[in-house]
Amino acid sequence: MLEMTHIKKIYRTISIETHALEDLSLSVKAGEFVSVTGPSGSGKTTFLNVAGLLDTFDSGSYILDGKDVSRLSDREMSQIRNRTIGFVFQSFNLIPDLNVFDNVDVPLRYRGLPATERKARIENALSMVGLSARVRHLPSQLSGGQQQRVAIARVLAGDPKLILADEPTGNLDSAMSREIMDLLGKINDNGTTIVMVTHNAECSERAHRQLHVFDGRIADVDRPRVVLGSPVATPGLTATLN
Amino acid sequence: MLLYQLKIALTSLRRNPVITSLLIGGIALGICVSTTFIALRHVFEKDPLPGKSNTLFYVRLDNWDPQRAYVAEDPKSLPTMVTYRDMRELMKSNIPTRQTGTFRSRFFVHPDPKIGRPFAEDVRLVFSDFFTMFNVPFQYGGGWDKAADAKPEPVIVIDQNTNQKLFGGANSVGRTVRLEDRNYKVVGVLAPWNPPLRFYDPTQGLGPKVEPIYMPFNFTPILEIQTYGNSDGWKGNDGNGFQAFLNSDTCWLEYWVELPTPEKQQAFREYVNNYVIDQKKHGRFGRPLHTEVTSMPELTKELGVVPPQIRSLAIVSVLFLIVCSLNLIGLLLGKFIARIPEISVRRALGASRLQVFWQHIVECEVVGIAGGLIGLGISVGLLKMVAKVIPNGDVVHLDAEMIAVSIFLSLVAGLLAGIYPAWRVCSIPPAMQLKVQ
Repeated sequence: MLEMTHIKKIYRTISIETHALEDLSLSVKAGEFVSVTGPSGSGKTTFLNVAGLLDTFDSGSYILDGKDVSRLSDREMSQIRNRTIGFVFQSFNLIPDLNVFDNVDVPLRYRGLPATERKARIENALSMVGLSARVRHLPSQLSGGQQQRVAIARVLAGDPKLILADEPTGNLDSAMSREIMDLLGKINDNGTTIVMVTHNAECSERAHRQLHVFDGRIADVDRPRVVLGSPVATPGLTATLN
Repeated sequence: MLLYQLKIALTSLRRNPVITSLLIGGIALGICVSTTFIALRHVFEKDPLPGKSNTLFYVRLDNWDPQRAYVAEDPKSLPTMVTYRDMRELMKSNIPTRQTGTFRSRFFVHPDPKIGRPFAEDVRLVFSDFFTMFNVPFQYGGGWDKAADAKPEPVIVIDQNTNQKLFGGANSVGRTVRLEDRNYKVVGVLAPWNPPLRFYDPTQGLGPKVEPIYMPFNFTPILEIQTYGNSDGWKGNDGNGFQAFLNSDTCWLEYWVELPTPEKQQAFREYVNNYVIDQKKHGRFGRPLHTEVTSMPELTKELGVVPPQIRSLAIVSVLFLIVCSLNLIGLLLGKFIARIPEISVRRALGASRLQVFWQHIVECEVVGIAGGLIGLGISVGLLKMVAKVIPNGDVVHLDAEMIAVSIFLSLVAGLLAGIYPAWRVCSIPPAMQLKVQ
């Protein structure tokens, strides 16, 4: 499903060069549920942004769903984000002026689906997350857990092959966190690939495979490629002053 | 997608009513000022007589002093009117479909003593073709015919105001009006007629309104009617009396012909030239051969009938609109940048950079249209104020063409104000703002 090879991402300002991803290689099979952990500043979010085509990379190759996405136009990348990928964010990222129905409708609008099909998908997705009765509510009228479920419904309505979740339970209490993880588990059971960044060990263990990001590189916790402290290990997040 | 973008635009505009009001107000101000002055120019410069301007031609001959030009500094200048004898001779041609000579005079009107005292009124002497040539509208009756021209019959056409004064506004066709010491029968009453220019008398420019009374031209030699308009002459009359004046080289008449086809225009120009060449053999027309048969639009332009100030004001007002639009760039940039988190989410969900760009352009155009409509409304009032201070100002109004121009300008203004802010926000990488809300 997702094949990244020697990905490098450098953020440059006038005086500083930050190597956010350093020779990152990763392979995720279709249907896998993978969690990604790592200390703050290790490159987890950058990895997720590159994986979700929200940011570009400087070198390496990235094959997504069998397609090389290294040199796509903005329009092509937008279409892939719309049809293939679904995002779940820590802060939900619902649009505050739109009610639940219209929030879930956003990606479907950009896909150009007719109104009847959009309505059917939205109602189905909201029913799967148990929020059919809140269709006309604004995000401010929902709890954190409900907002995150709306965000997941927004993903489900598009029926993506890959879900990228960035700390989906970061702003939720433990009970709601479990609810969300149960939902993600069910979605994965239906065949959707999930890559989830998390700090939460309990959430991380729900995944089939756990990856650890350190200094812009990936190590499988189950099958470590880099051992901390060994000469092979990277010296820490590289920040070069130019 | 356009309907969806309109929905997003309206939601966004409702979110910040104060900023939205400022944006719309800025565009409205620019549109109001530019529309007012462009409308002014438009009314005075466009086709003065729709459907007729390019078939009506004004005749001029250079019968001036052989020693100097009509305007000393301009050797190509020629008198703006023609002489009585030249008009008479040229009118013998059957090339024009219609033709008329005309001039303005002044008569005393003697109403029924029960109505009021005698009063002086402008009278225009014309041939019967005048009314058809210049699309003169009638409320009752019409002009007189060629037989009435030839005789001449004591008939007149009066305007609505005069009809109101003398006959209480009733249908006065067939009634009698006493002008000076004669009675004239009313054959027609004009409908309201306020052309932007008194185009049949180009020497007057934006002069007073059209004359209230019209009578057959051929009364001129019979009643020895003096002109109250302009007259130009470079030498005295040969002899005394009114007949000598009519035979002189004094220019005091406007002479118009209707030439609907290029062939007639060409033929008549040759006819006029041949006439002058013939007159040269009789010792007249000492200057080099120079005649002009000029269409109405060309004439108004040539004589500068429309003040250049009106043209300049129109240009300045458009510049003012541009300045108003550019001033809104900062406001729009701030508004759009505040929405970067939402834009980032939309980008993450599949909106392309171009879709985000157009979404913001649609929002700017909604502001432009709203500002344009409000500006148009204000400009109606502003035009009424301007109309009070210029001659014939009541003809100044917004027509369909001007409304379309204003809507177009408001779209351009919206685009000008919004194109840079829209491009800036759609260029920001979506990843930057997604974690922070």
